[in-house]
Amino acid sequence: MSRTAKILSLAFIAFWLLTALAPSLIAPGDPLAINPAQAFQKPGLGHLFGTDESGRDVYTRVVHGARDSLFIGIAATALGMGLAIVLGTAAALSPRWLDEAILRVLEALYAVPSLLMALLIIAFTGPGVGPAIVAVGLSTAPGYARLVRSQIRTLRRSEMLEAATVLGRGPWAKVRNHLVPNALKPLLALVTLGIGQAVIWAAALSFLGLGTPPPAPEWGAMLSAGRTYLHLAWWMSLFPGLAIVVVAAGATLIGRALGGKVKAL
Amino acid sequence: MNQPVIAVENLRVSFGGTTAVDGVSFTLHAGRALALVGESGSGKSVTARSLLGLSGGRAAADALEICGQDARDLSDGQWRQIRGTRISMILQDALMALDPLRPVGREIGDALKAHGSAPASARRAQVIDALAAVRVPEPERRARQRSTELSGGMRQRALIAQALIGDPQVVIADEATTALDSQLTALVLSQLRDIKEQGRAVLMISHDLAQVAQLADDIAVMRQGKIVEFGPAIEVLGSPQHEYTKTLLQAVPSGVPRFSSLSPGSAVPQCPARPNTTSAALRVNSLSKSFGGHPAVQDVSFELPRGKTLGIVGESGSGKTTTARMVLGIERPDSGTVELLGQGFVPQRESARRELRRQMGAIYQNPLGSFDPRYSVSQLLTDALSQGRTKRSSQYRDEVARLLEQVELDPALGGRNPVELSGGQRQRLAIARALAAKPAVLILDEPVSALDVSVQATVLDLLDRIQLETGTSYLFISHDLSVIEHMSDAVAVMYQGRIVEQGPTEQIFGDPQQDYTKQLLSAMPRLR
Amino acid sequence: MAYLGWAARKIGGALVVLWLVATAIFIGIRMIPGDPAEAIMGGPGSQASAEALAAARAEFGLDRPIGVQYLMYLGKLAQLDFGTSYSLKRPVTEVMGEVLPNTLWLALVSLAAAWLLALLFAAASMRASRLGSWLGSMFEIIAAAVPHFWLGSVLIMLFSSALGWLPAVDNGTAAGLLLPVLTLALPLAGFLTQLMRDSLAAAMGSQFALAARARGESRLMVFWRHGLRHASLPALNLTGWAFASLLSGAVVVEAIFARPGLGRSLLSAVLARDIPMVTGIALFSALVYILVMAVAEGIEKFIDPAGAGA
Repeated sequence: MSRTAKILSLAFIAFWLLTALAPSLIAPGDPLAINPAQAFQKPGLGHLFGTDESGRDVYTRVVHGARDSLFIGIAATALGMGLAIVLGTAAALSPRWLDEAILRVLEALYAVPSLLMALLIIAFTGPGVGPAIVAVGLSTAPGYARLVRSQIRTLRRSEMLEAATVLGRGPWAKVRNHLVPNALKPLLALVTLGIGQAVIWAAALSFLGLGTPPPAPEWGAMLSAGRTYLHLAWWMSLFPGLAIVVVAAGATLIGRALGGKVKAL
Repeated sequence: MNQPVIAVENLRVSFGGTTAVDGVSFTLHAGRALALVGESGSGKSVTARSLLGLSGGRAAADALEICGQDARDLSDGQWRQIRGTRISMILQDALMALDPLRPVGREIGDALKAHGSAPASARRAQVIDALAAVRVPEPERRARQRSTELSGGMRQRALIAQALIGDPQVVIADEATTALDSQLTALVLSQLRDIKEQGRAVLMISHDLAQVAQLADDIAVMRQGKIVEFGPAIEVLGSPQHEYTKTLLQAVPSGVPRFSSLSPGSAVPQCPARPNTTSAALRVNSLSKSFGGHPAVQDVSFELPRGKTLGIVGESGSGKTTTARMVLGIERPDSGTVELLGQGFVPQRESARRELRRQMGAIYQNPLGSFDPRYSVSQLLTDALSQGRTKRSSQYRDEVARLLEQVELDPALGGRNPVELSGGQRQRLAIARALAAKPAVLILDEPVSALDVSVQATVLDLLDRIQLETGTSYLFISHDLSVIEHMSDAVAVMYQGRIVEQGPTEQIFGDPQQDYTKQLLSAMPRLR
Repeated sequence: MAYLGWAARKIGGALVVLWLVATAIFIGIRMIPGDPAEAIMGGPGSQASAEALAAARAEFGLDRPIGVQYLMYLGKLAQLDFGTSYSLKRPVTEVMGEVLPNTLWLALVSLAAAWLLALLFAAASMRASRLGSWLGSMFEIIAAAVPHFWLGSVLIMLFSSALGWLPAVDNGTAAGLLLPVLTLALPLAGFLTQLMRDSLAAAMGSQFALAARARGESRLMVFWRHGLRHASLPALNLTGWAFASLLSGAVVVEAIFARPGLGRSLLSAVLARDIPMVTGIALFSALVYILVMAVAEGIEKFIDPAGAGA
């Protein structure tokens, strides 16, 4: 990664962290403040991104919405990756029959498309932020797990570890000095790519009315509300959507700069 | 003499701002072979590709005539008329030069499809004929197979058939024998000789003077985009005029006695009395190993005396590398033992022999894969010196510097990542890392096979010097007979998993007893 | 012979996968707190009648031991009997028969469109200048980052509301299919282009491409005979994943464009907590996924029998 790319990536991450953790610094208003007299204002100086059907400021809501959207995305990815590291490592290091069994479980997880799996889980649990995280996390886990498995298998058979054996390194030194650090780097790239996609899926659930309940500001939920007024107030749909695209595209760019390949998703 | 089929005058090719070919001129006549010899980056391949209009850069020349036609300002459509029918090319690696996803018959037939519109059945018949002409058995069946399904020899023949089917007057062989073992090399060389005798002109691109000597009528030595010496093969090889040609010739190891320098700059110290011990550094007793029922190594035994070199030579698939891996304790043998300095090393629990491992180092053909990609040069050496405890302690700085000096690497390279080093530098680094533990034995598996001749010469000289200075024993594995002859005190010849003959180097090379050894030696290209 | 063995392994693997999915759903249903009969009937809020609850108990054997319940459940699935949808009061299989073709058609057309777009973009990027290929890679990243539900709205806004060129809801015509297909295909095309571009560039810069050029083939012929095959392999490898993501997207797209289909039925079933319907749809999509995977693998084997390009 070049120096400029590093600085830009860090700036991007810092900006969204700041937005998620301290949204009031960037948008001091109240995202829930209703002002019916100001409903459906076009974007302008008073309201940068316009206002919605209840006169709430869309800019303030987009900024405050970052917290929920990013939290669900990151938490789901963490869950999926955690599960994947356990399953993938187990599969890679296990005898053949257990490896096969784990692969079948992963394939079963794969066979139910992500959003369908999310809906399935919500059918059992009812809607909410928690189920959304579990649903997105579970549906992304098999992809990660396959990568972890192949990564560890490749590394185990690598000349690098062979050379370490020949140099007389013990098993612990090989794992600590070579296996873990070299396996982590592509995972980091993958996690970055994955967060972008997880944010999209999480927003999709809210859009369908199954994630964050209204009136809390969340990008997917805002888009769902905006759809009703599409012909009246395009800005209600445009800006939350752009926020999702910027986060997802930024995550993809950083992930690719870290050497990630979309193939692995 | 009649008109040349190719006449090039002052050819220049550049990529962006860098000049790859800088004023090259030569002529080539029908029924003759010209060799362009040089090392990687000398511009020889770019020169050859310019003759097909495929240099990929900006090419210009004062004259560029192909079969009497001025080819300087041809459109791509006009070039396509020439390619395949007047001039064609055999590329280096048959596995990569034939699309692995398509049957070879289709690949060969594409050359016909590109020119004219013969009906499919006629094309198929022609493809079969072309395969039969290069002596491919069962050409109908082979034509339907993909290159990955063919044996190495079959693949090479298919590649040659592909170049000949359009009946070209000129055939370019771009490193067509590089990386092939000696029997395949002999096969390709004899095919090229046939092509020459059919009255076609052959332009041979190679880095290997000994191979070139088998075929070429004329030799042009290239360096940094220029032809530095040009003349009849006998003169260039017999009485070279240019310094660089002399360096290249000196670098060819075949027939050069042990510890004689192959490279100009390096002084191998004159033989101090080498320890004439009979005690074995390494003793291997009847190692055997099968993979899925197929025996890879059978009953291999040898002894490596202290301070000496044992060469193991054989073709690919002969079991050399499996033997090396068993000796190193990476592959577990089905039966047999290995003793290192009189102590049992194989079979043995890993924890029990870890201490003994410091006495044995390994050098691979491609050292890059054996380095952790996150480590810099000095970190790799610090890691080796500290036995894996640290990679950045300053405590080892002096020792790292001493190791770098020992393998003649610039200390300034310490902060670099091995990816940024040249092939020769990487191999030196691998040697330095192996030497960190002051081992008694080095296992060298094809250590110079991926290097240019002159770089190979410097690495071999370095290995010589280190052996004289430290008394390290070498188990030297190679498919290259001339390297083995130059480096070894004793030689073991492997064939189909067995050692068919072993003995002192002079005896094996001077008076071979077994048929296989004789066959192998007769295929060996020689300069001297 | 090799194909028979391959097919047997595939079918065996598919059955195991279906069994795992079914078992997971069974466990999921039992984990809903409260009376399972009530849960199946839509949860405590559904106010199911006593007769309905009794019917459910009998149908699922809820008064029997859990092992028997499980076997009864599997036995019914094996006969392709998914029970009765409580919200629609119709057999699940019957509802599926109506909606499944719609969704499959939408997904297949979108898959084809995504492939076509991706191939065009990948091919165009071969000849592009530096700026062009930078713009291309920006486009593919942004396309892959656009959520379906937003893209659908934007397309409706542009082509339907503002320009009035295309209908916003499906009216059965090809024009009505265009916007939903674009919505589904564009993000997928972004992914596929990223995949294809790398392998296409590798193939076009390879030794065999050079050899083909040296035989007298034009760039176009090399692209057609060699580049295309190599570019399609990694994307073909991911067809199962791509199809699954299309089915996911269909849930959203069918909601936005008010198209009847699997996704829309699933959404309303989830909102009504209609467990038999949800179970049926999940299992059906798993089955479809497995079939699509098998077909893709078959095509892959045809292009690359030796597994050389993988």
